[in-house]
Amino acid sequence: MRTILSLAVVAMLLVTTSAGAQTTPGFGAEEFGLTQRQLVQSIEQVEELIAKCMREQGFQYIAADYNTVHAGMKADKAMPGLNEEEFIDKYGFGVATMYTGQPPQLTTGYSPARVGFGERNVQIFKGLSPADQVAYNRALLGENLDATFAIAVEIENFSRCGGCTRKAVEQVFKPDQLKPGYYNPQNAFINNDPRMKAALRRFAAEMKKVGFDYSHPDDVEPDIRARLAALTSGGTILVERMSPDQRNELTKLQDYERRVAAKAFKFQDEVLGPVEEQIQQQLFSRKVQ
Amino acid sequence: MNGTTGNVVGRPATAPAETSLRVGERQTDGRALIRSSGNLAGRRVKLLHAVLLAVATAAAAAWLAGTRIESPADVAARTAPPPRSPILVPIEERVLSADVVTRGTVRFGLPQPVSLAPSPLKAAPGLVTTLPARNTQLNEGDIVVTASGRPVFVLQGQVPAYRDMVPGVSGADVSQLKQALTRMGFDPGSTDGPYDEQTSAAVTRWYKANAWEPFGPTREQLVAVRALERELSDAVKTKAAAAAAVATAGVTVEAARATAAHAVRAAVVENAARFSGQRRSSDPLQSGAALTIESERAKAQLAATSAEADLAAQIAEQALVALDPRQTETARNAASAKLEVARAARQKARLDGELAVHAAEREVSLSVDRAEVGRAAERSARLEGDKAVRSALDAQKLAALDLTMAIERADQAAADLAAAKRKLGVQVPIDEVVFIRTLPVRVEEVTAVIGGAATGSLLTVTDNQLAVDASLPLDAAPLVKAGMPVAIDEQALGIKATGIVETVATTPGTRGVDGFHIYLGIRVDSTPVRLEGFSVRLTIPIESTKGAVTAVPVSALSLATDGTSRLQVEKNGTLDYITVQPGLTANGYVEVSPLAGKLAPGQLVVVGYNNLAGSDAR
Repeated sequence: MRTILSLAVVAMLLVTTSAGAQTTPGFGAEEFGLTQRQLVQSIEQVEELIAKCMREQGFQYIAADYNTVHAGMKADKAMPGLNEEEFIDKYGFGVATMYTGQPPQLTTGYSPARVGFGERNVQIFKGLSPADQVAYNRALLGENLDATFAIAVEIENFSRCGGCTRKAVEQVFKPDQLKPGYYNPQNAFINNDPRMKAALRRFAAEMKKVGFDYSHPDDVEPDIRARLAALTSGGTILVERMSPDQRNELTKLQDYERRVAAKAFKFQDEVLGPVEEQIQQQLFSRKVQ
Repeated sequence: MNGTTGNVVGRPATAPAETSLRVGERQTDGRALIRSSGNLAGRRVKLLHAVLLAVATAAAAAWLAGTRIESPADVAARTAPPPRSPILVPIEERVLSADVVTRGTVRFGLPQPVSLAPSPLKAAPGLVTTLPARNTQLNEGDIVVTASGRPVFVLQGQVPAYRDMVPGVSGADVSQLKQALTRMGFDPGSTDGPYDEQTSAAVTRWYKANAWEPFGPTREQLVAVRALERELSDAVKTKAAAAAAVATAGVTVEAARATAAHAVRAAVVENAARFSGQRRSSDPLQSGAALTIESERAKAQLAATSAEADLAAQIAEQALVALDPRQTETARNAASAKLEVARAARQKARLDGELAVHAAEREVSLSVDRAEVGRAAERSARLEGDKAVRSALDAQKLAALDLTMAIERADQAAADLAAAKRKLGVQVPIDEVVFIRTLPVRVEEVTAVIGGAATGSLLTVTDNQLAVDASLPLDAAPLVKAGMPVAIDEQALGIKATGIVETVATTPGTRGVDGFHIYLGIRVDSTPVRLEGFSVRLTIPIESTKGAVTAVPVSALSLATDGTSRLQVEKNGTLDYITVQPGLTANGYVEVSPLAGKLAPGQLVVVGYNNLAGSDAR
């Protein structure tokens, strides 16, 4: 029996050794663990594939360049004159609070999605008939009109992408990068660290104290998006055409989003931030970028 | 590394089994041997544990080192270019078709508004009382709406209803009405003539067949007829009065002429009578005046000559007296006095003569003046007569004009009355009929509301022909021609249909498309699927190989240094170049014809080289 146990220990050690020998900390610091160069290439490949797919659907789509997509990414949770904390205090994640029901291309105010499309695509969209606009966005984005490529890259979540965006992403990114619970290697490392796990437990406890049931800060925004999608049939109901009940529900969701976003941001900053910094320093102190 | 580790794992896996087997064998030899063997086994286990601990420590150290240390060979291997491997795809036999793919929205064709104009036959537009539902099909003779209890019928016709169709009128609208009545089985007679009694009868039957009362004469029309009758009566009276005035004016003219002639004759007679006594003397032509004057002059001359002679006699007598000394002074004085008297007498005679001549001359002058006055009076009488005649003639002309006007007024009144009487039959008000070019149609959109005024645009109808409004980029537009077949589909909705290109605009920016696109109109072939309102994909094959041809992916084609196109083909494990003539390119494939050698379907061609490795492949 002891012999078997010993063999098991040896096997585990050797497997661990083998795995450790195979692992290389070569992932990049950009979204999805890509290097800057890989990110630029991936974005431009995806945009070209989106344009091709849209052409096949009979729509004109100008492949946005990296700068345009990056501008869309940077526009997420950003507004002139507000830092991220102020934005979150005022608008939460900008999901339900900024919801109009308009397609992103027709939104006139805050719309990182519109920025990420590029002005030429917005103009092309505006020139379409209402029926074609619906079909255009269904071809481009699938069911979730807010799940644009730029936003998906920014929040590192392709799971809600659809249409040509999804098809293009599938051809450029790895299958596991498309899964809902995907974390880039760096974040996966950090999340698996016992210190971070402990910190996440503390985060969940703090959130629970203030009435929110989330075990990870990254669960909050997708939850808001899912709730909004359920309320608005995937973001297709115009606010002005909502029934009084739907408006009440939207108002409640907006209030909820503001409160939960503020708390999540606070606890993430206070509880998880220092731990993450500590782990990053230990893991990546060798990395000189 | 893994192989080495595997060997390490393999050894301890077999060692305990062998040991156990040997121990088992020795157990059959006796207890001492067993004890001895047990001690030996215990030591071996300890040794094994020590070895395992050492291996584990070494493994941990190796792992730690592996994560920290990267050998130059690893770096070189990581940075070295990966080996190139060709990506091969088979040559295909396929039909190539170059397509223009675009998008459009399906709609029903020929949208047209249905509008009503207020009818002059009615005091005010009616209020909408019923409206059709969207998608209602409308055929000829159907009632599209009702307004204030009156129907609005749909009829087929190119010209819109623009006036009330009443008895007596004719035109394209009336012809359309008659044609529609004929189609509906209400014979109105000839379809070319005016709206007549037969048309009225047909309209009456048509209305009654639909359980509506035809639109008869209105109260206003009847009142208007009565007013026209009164007006005609007045005009006839006026005409008679004017005719009488004309006759009177003729008599007046004759009277004026007679009066004028009489006045002239009277003036002439009076003038003649006034100067008949003097005519001869005063007539300078007959020298009457000159004779009178000469007579007076002769008398004056005679008196002067007598006075001169008397004076000469006195002078002689005075000279005799003076020369005769015997004569007394008195006689001399008397002679002198006589001389003086003779001189005075001569002077008097001269003056009297001159006075008489002057008087004669003045008398002649007055006679001439009187003659002039007489002639002037005659002329005046003549002018007065002419004036009176002209006035009478003018009055006659005015009377004639009045008569003409009165006649015209009477005729007009008679015509108006006749026309008004003709319109008293059954009529079709403009707001009770709508002409639509082609029927049947369907109601596309209802803009009027129940209770609203039934005037202006009430709804929009379309025909049942589906059409697609689309656009083409400027570069694709010249490739698409009217009549080309179109594949219509929408994958997301499972829609599939066909159609043909109906319109390709000649200029960009028309019919709602932006200035960078050309309008494209597609007519959809009949389909059981309700496509209206959907956005559909339109695929227009613009060029085809008309059969299966040898085709390869476009990426398989490369350009040689001499400018020829070539393929890299695998043959018995080697790659050879074959020069080809490229043909139609479509959907990522290009038709190729080998200029030398042969190409067979299934043969592999190089489309690229896989020079990416590991995770960087993406």
